[in-house]
Amino acid sequence: MTAAAPAQRRFSWAWLGVVPFVVFTIAFLILPTAYLFIGSVQGTGGQLTLQNYAHLSEPNIADAYAASIEISLVTAIGGGLFGFLLAYAVISGGLPSILRSALMTFSGVASNFAGVPLALAFTFTLGASGLLTPLLIALGLKVNIYSKTALELAYMYFQFPLMVLIIAPAIDGLRKDWREAAENMGATSLQYWRHIGLPILFPSLLGSIILLFGNAFGAQATAYQLSGGTINIVTIQITRQLRGDVNRDPGIGYAMAIGMVIVMAISIAAYSVLQRRAERWLR
Amino acid sequence: MNMEEATGQPSVGVRAPGAMDSIAAPAGSRRRSGSIIWWIVFITGFLYFFVPLLGTFAFSMRAQPAFSAYSVVVDDPQFAATLIYSFVVGIITIVVATVLIVPTAYWVRLRLPRLRPFIEFITLLPFVIPPIILVFGLLRSYSGPPLPLAGSDFGSNVLLVAAYVVLSLPYMYRAVDTGLRSIDVRSLTEASQSLGAGWVTILWQVIFPNVRVAILSGAFLTLAIVVGEFTIATFLARPAFGPYINLIGGNKAYEPAAVSLISFGLTWIAMGGIAMLGRGSRQRVQVAGAR
Amino acid sequence: MTGIRQLSRPFGALTIVALALAACTGGGGGSGGTTATLPGVQQSLIDAAKGEGNLTTIALPHSWCNYGEMLTGFTSKFGIKVNELNPDGGSKDEVEAIKANKGNKGPAAPDVIDVGLSFGPDAKGQGLLQPYKVAGWSSIPDSAKDADGSWYGDYYGVLSFEVNTDKVKNVPQDWSDLLKPEYKNQVALAGDPTASNQAISGVWAAGIANGGSLDDAAPGLAFFKKLNDAGNFVPIIAKTANVASGDSPIRIAWTYNALADKDSLKGNPKIEVVVPKSGRFGGMYVQAISAFAPHPNAAKLWMEWLYSDDGQNLWLKGYCNPIRYDDLVKRGVVDKAAQAKLPDTTGVQLPTLEQITKATDVIGKGWTTTVNVTVK
Repeated sequence: MTAAAPAQRRFSWAWLGVVPFVVFTIAFLILPTAYLFIGSVQGTGGQLTLQNYAHLSEPNIADAYAASIEISLVTAIGGGLFGFLLAYAVISGGLPSILRSALMTFSGVASNFAGVPLALAFTFTLGASGLLTPLLIALGLKVNIYSKTALELAYMYFQFPLMVLIIAPAIDGLRKDWREAAENMGATSLQYWRHIGLPILFPSLLGSIILLFGNAFGAQATAYQLSGGTINIVTIQITRQLRGDVNRDPGIGYAMAIGMVIVMAISIAAYSVLQRRAERWLR
Repeated sequence: MNMEEATGQPSVGVRAPGAMDSIAAPAGSRRRSGSIIWWIVFITGFLYFFVPLLGTFAFSMRAQPAFSAYSVVVDDPQFAATLIYSFVVGIITIVVATVLIVPTAYWVRLRLPRLRPFIEFITLLPFVIPPIILVFGLLRSYSGPPLPLAGSDFGSNVLLVAAYVVLSLPYMYRAVDTGLRSIDVRSLTEASQSLGAGWVTILWQVIFPNVRVAILSGAFLTLAIVVGEFTIATFLARPAFGPYINLIGGNKAYEPAAVSLISFGLTWIAMGGIAMLGRGSRQRVQVAGAR
Repeated sequence: MTGIRQLSRPFGALTIVALALAACTGGGGGSGGTTATLPGVQQSLIDAAKGEGNLTTIALPHSWCNYGEMLTGFTSKFGIKVNELNPDGGSKDEVEAIKANKGNKGPAAPDVIDVGLSFGPDAKGQGLLQPYKVAGWSSIPDSAKDADGSWYGDYYGVLSFEVNTDKVKNVPQDWSDLLKPEYKNQVALAGDPTASNQAISGVWAAGIANGGSLDDAAPGLAFFKKLNDAGNFVPIIAKTANVASGDSPIRIAWTYNALADKDSLKGNPKIEVVVPKSGRFGGMYVQAISAFAPHPNAAKLWMEWLYSDDGQNLWLKGYCNPIRYDDLVKRGVVDKAAQAKLPDTTGVQLPTLEQITKATDVIGKGWTTTVNVTVK
């Protein structure tokens, strides 16, 4: 395993292992979206310019990024938390096992229940003539379904299931015997979680949360439908620039999309640092 | 590094089935009261998910006569045709994505850990690339030589599957990576190699079965995406379910609600089917140290 | 994985469905044995179009101006199959689709587009259109077409209030009525005023009724600010479902969309369509053929179909005012039943291209700031 010549050969094989993935993503992801980058550095006349990026610092657009990041963080962490509890409940919480398969399959569908159907479902539930509205009014609660909070609540509908599905294998991997061994040594539930459960799960939790963050960050249709475009988030701004019946400057739209790519890159960097530290505990 | 240390099993020796259970009996009562909390969690989740669906159902029932919103939809032959097309495309996408991602995730975990942030960044890109940009980009790139895929029906289908694999990348990769994290990849590989297995055998007979749960999770997510997707399918002129729903939605009020519930239900059933098929292969799994 | 077993089940079902579909549609398409003709149209064009066999359209919802019947009528008359792209799309999508498919002769490349007026000259300037003058070219008003034949007006509609009378007892008759407190949380636009033609027109029209004009759209923003401050405005993109459910029982939409909704809802709930007394605003759309159309002859034949007396009457049936309306009336070939159903729109104003560009800019930029609907 440590001889120089075989290590050399095995090392080049390792790179070969990711070649299919790299070729595929270049062919079907990078190449088609290259014009996104090219478009972002072009002005309306086609000339090369960085003016589009300069627009990103405008208060309107900066606010959009702030709002997007905030909504994504809130739903990622909130969604991650409850999704984790839900997954744990059906996997190791002593519930009948049929609930597990029901929840897993349901989560598959619910994770993609977004956009117009989700927005409509929410208005049918909490809107002017919603199912729950009479109950809420009787309880004296007023819900404004056109607010940021309501949007975050709606986003949870696909964040919870996503978390459930992604964290399930990790919870499965938590050996029952570790729990039993800990209890034998007199550990309480809290101590088990603090010293064994959470540290082991932490890298997976982190990975899932960044996935939820990306998922919410890129979401657009639900917010657009529910707010009529009045909530200022980046994806809606991009949609305005790139689509619709109004002639706009698509270069700004492209630049905003590249801005989102940069936000994701920064998030990955932060996540990787945290990840490496978390894994150092486990080694 | 011996097997036990690698897998984290307490070095108490081989445990007889039930041996631990009797020792752990007092803890059983603790676990039972714990499960009330989990019931509360579950029921909260259940209510949160079902009440909006109930609201949608209540709205769809406003159509006169009752259930007419559903019969209008189900009677349409296009409904079944496009749904089946999307399901088939979904299955193909799942297979391609699995074959592409599992070996990659495995390699990165085993041999190329430094490459991981870049791979993860690429897998998260589909979140921030608007689908309309992706489809127009695909059309631009594959309209002419060297690969004029967009010119033919078959080529367009290929483009559709490729685009959907791209869309499923974040979910598939994260699911598989989480799954790989919970098994000891290094020891499994070394054990298999010491038994004389080649890479293909290792992947096919050792790794794949052990990340089955993760692949299933990814498969569910991918199928849901494919069945519900609209933008890419419509711009590639594919007879898929998303464009169909959009077309009948039009100026109708109750039919779209009925359709979203029907497709929700049917996709759920399809996933149940996939889950059952997946469970079928549980028998051939156990390699030492796995679960 | 049990791949084969997984695939064989849906494959079997697919075969059955395919056979069923073939049985159902076997009668309609492809026959074309009888000579299909259109007055003023060369038989050679019809034959060439039939030879191409396919037409690709984009952004044509079936309920919009009765495009559903227009499309099925075209297919059954000439046996040409239509690929419909993105029925929900906006004008920008259509132009972008032409650009993305420049080298593509496949089914994803649109042959013909139906876009907002401002997009006609814009697309022509980018070299995306090919000129064609239909048989009835001379009966299209000069103000509504490009002199070279690159784009040509097709129909227009007027902004109206689509009211769910099950929820709204006192139907508003004019823009100023909308501000009354009885309409709290009831009034919505059908789109996003920074991106949708229909919504921008809504804001503009409200402005015209409140001191504005075709040259001055700013009062529209002021009106909606008042509407929002009064709590009457619902900041959603109102769809038919929202009108029916009561979340936005008053929707500002083109007459043809409102009337089509009324038909499809069949009294459940009851819809009344009101063209406001003042501020009558019309919006025109234009047709064009893509310069890169994979089926140019089918595209031309489609245009001939749209602008034929039959085609124009189909649009009329969809509650749109077809561009050759005056000519149809003069020659007595207008569909009287459809004509009777059109609401009274005397006094409607249609903006010119320059006015549209200016107003779009004012409303688009001003909406998020002036009206201050951005919800926190």
